[in-house]
Amino acid sequence: MIYLPLQIIVSLFVIFVVFRLTKKFKDNILKTSEFVGWLVIWLIVLVVFWIPQTTSYLAAIFGIGRGVDLAIYVAVLIIFYLIFRLYLKIDKQQKEITKIVRHLALKEGEKEDQVEND
Amino acid sequence: MKLFIVIPCYNEVRRLAAVIQEVKSFGEVVVVDDGSRDNSYQVAQSQGVKVLRHLVNRGQGAALQTGNNYALSRRADLVVHFDADGQHQAEDIPKLASPITAGQADVVFGSRFLNVRDNNQLPFFKEWLILKPAIFFQNLLYGVKLTDAHNGLRAMSRKALEQIVITQDGMAHPSEIIDQLIIHNLPYLEVPVTIRYDEFGQGLLGGLKIIRDLIFGKINK
Repeated sequence: MIYLPLQIIVSLFVIFVVFRLTKKFKDNILKTSEFVGWLVIWLIVLVVFWIPQTTSYLAAIFGIGRGVDLAIYVAVLIIFYLIFRLYLKIDKQQKEITKIVRHLALKEGEKEDQVEND
Repeated sequence: MKLFIVIPCYNEVRRLAAVIQEVKSFGEVVVVDDGSRDNSYQVAQSQGVKVLRHLVNRGQGAALQTGNNYALSRRADLVVHFDADGQHQAEDIPKLASPITAGQADVVFGSRFLNVRDNNQLPFFKEWLILKPAIFFQNLLYGVKLTDAHNGLRAMSRKALEQIVITQDGMAHPSEIIDQLIIHNLPYLEVPVTIRYDEFGQGLLGGLKIIRDLIFGKINK
């Protein structure tokens, strides 16, 4: 198989990542759901690289010609979703910054008022 | 009736002092300096009025809400929002306040189009390409009947201040005020005002930005 060198490199990388994941999981940095989610994703990567026909098979189910195309479509969807989540998160943080800035402005203002009244 | 005039200000050193002097006699002035990079803060302070300062720029909506909060804490009966750039006329303040003191409304908007004979010298492009469509969509979306879309001059009663909270930091806050007005079922009115135009204000891109802010504001509650 002509893929062999790449398959070995990717496999080694996946093993390394899974090793790190289990370590993080043991150290309680990752929640069980997160750990399982990441594990599944990396196992899928392994499967795709060792048995490339699987993507073609899936693509056929969705009516897409090539397996690679399916992979790209899915990747684009995931990226858009992540950008959307980021946008919402930034928006939320902006609101929180405003809250802090407002709190400080009002606190300072009240302080001045008290000084004037004294 | 305790009337507060909230003036949000961001780099408005050119007109600020004059505006403060004009409105001072109509009520208690609160300038909210929204992190200006010029010396607006010092200028406002030298005019002998209350000045609140945002450490970093947060937008006009955020500044107005800070002013509202301050006015509420000082037991205001009535707050008027007034621009720092000299667009608004101080003589319009009593016109905005009187429907609230008379108990006819809790929110009063200034309108450029209510009294057509007061020609507001509005630029043609701004009126027909930006304002009129904006007013049309605003009325369609919120089910209100207003003759103008937010020129920034408005008055709110204490009741309205307690119920309406501006979360739109940028320029989408006027739409948000209308939205909350409907939700809380507050009576509102329009009075004719005069707006002076020296600069263009918000262009088409600004309008699109407002629509974006409103959509994300709804999603991200």
